[in-house]
Amino acid sequence: MIENIKEVKKDELLAEVKKFADAKARFVTAVCNDLGDKLEVTYFFNMSPGMEMHGLRMTVGKDEEVPSTTGIFLTTVLIENEMKEMFGLKVKDIAIDFGGHMLLAQDSPVTPMLKTGAAGGKGGE
Amino acid sequence: MAPRTVAPFGPQHPVLPEPIQLKITYEDEKVVDVVPAIGYGHRGIEKACELNEYPKNIYLCERICGICSCIHGISYCEVVERLWPIDVPPRAKYLRTIWSEMSRTHSHLLWLGLLADAFGFESMFMQFWRIREKVLDLLEMTTGQRVTQSISVVGGVRRDIDDEQKKKCIEVLREVRKESEALINVLANDYTVKARTVGKGVLTKEQAIALGCTGPHLRASGVKEDCRMQGLQAYGDLGFEPIVEKDGDCYARTLVRCRELLQAIDLQLEAFSKMPEGEIAVRPKGNPPANEAVYRAEQPRGEVFYYAKGNGTRNLERLRVRTPTYANIPSLLVMLPGCELPDVPVIVLSIDPCISCTER
Repeated sequence: MIENIKEVKKDELLAEVKKFADAKARFVTAVCNDLGDKLEVTYFFNMSPGMEMHGLRMTVGKDEEVPSTTGIFLTTVLIENEMKEMFGLKVKDIAIDFGGHMLLAQDSPVTPMLKTGAAGGKGGE
Repeated sequence: MAPRTVAPFGPQHPVLPEPIQLKITYEDEKVVDVVPAIGYGHRGIEKACELNEYPKNIYLCERICGICSCIHGISYCEVVERLWPIDVPPRAKYLRTIWSEMSRTHSHLLWLGLLADAFGFESMFMQFWRIREKVLDLLEMTTGQRVTQSISVVGGVRRDIDDEQKKKCIEVLREVRKESEALINVLANDYTVKARTVGKGVLTKEQAIALGCTGPHLRASGVKEDCRMQGLQAYGDLGFEPIVEKDGDCYARTLVRCRELLQAIDLQLEAFSKMPEGEIAVRPKGNPPANEAVYRAEQPRGEVFYYAKGNGTRNLERLRVRTPTYANIPSLLVMLPGCELPDVPVIVLSIDPCISCTER
């Protein structure tokens, strides 16, 4: 059980993330989970100064587009690219979009972190 | 206006022991833009951790990084222990703290050597690494291995430190402290070091927080944040206080690491003096339950974040690891533009990049 996690809807995400930015919180990371037909994304923030952590949790369909938080926290650029290529999370308008190849090579398996099809086709196929 | 040139910094570069590329755009000698490119060493360790039974993941997580290997193993065990939860015996907590601080000691000595090498101070580089060997010898003596120690298990630690080993550790650590202090005095007061680091790659307190920086990089900008402040393991008994500098430049980052090196030795000596007798491990009952947990530890390069989700079987549903360099890379996008081209290597080195960690 993780404390201080708040469930948010996709449309509320940016406004909620902005509240953390306004509170001078430090972005820690995001975690993506494959729930079968949906993806669960949790953003973690550290309330500076100190070590108290809070989270925002959003559940979205695998085909749904989600907004990028890089306009608020530039540092989310790596994790958003990673979730995009590892889970197929459709993040739009990332500040630097590596086009699905930040960590994976051109011939790597596609969306390898998904529970199904993890050993599926190659990127070029 | 001078023409703009785009040049690759890395993935192979003398100051980079591991591959990362920075595509640097510059005018004359001034950097105007930078785009990082990673992915040269991705190993899919998070996925592999879902496919293995949970006790075997300790060895995988330790291979995320060769330098902070020990703390990766401990952090993995700690996050999995939180799924039950399991209460680790007090002596095991002290032993984990000692080995974590031993890792910090050798990691900071390694970085100080690399910094000296980047300036062309070859003999200082060799002196730092000579001292570091003594710490690696202590790790070998107490855990059986110099690099991937595999000392932590879910529920405690695998080995104890006996009185004879403890005596030897205290003797060598005092020696290491004395020798490190002498070298740090030279490094921190050297004209060339100051000329190359003071006022370079400045990051304000506000920028460091907004960019999600962590570790010595964050504390050098005046932010008092350190996972050891949570008081986990034995840190709550050791009167730990984070080391903070205010200037936010490469010199401040160097000073934070120098002071943390000495502090890490002091913490080990204190932990040895306070370590209670008793068991060193408890046996977990059953499989990790369907639950999720988070654990954050302070590695030499900063905060490492472990997330684990259990499903009641011997395999984890999900393991996520966010390493310190992963959090510190975006700050290069702010620190590098505006700097002179010859300052790029020192600024990059000042975040103590660990790409093996970053890519997992």
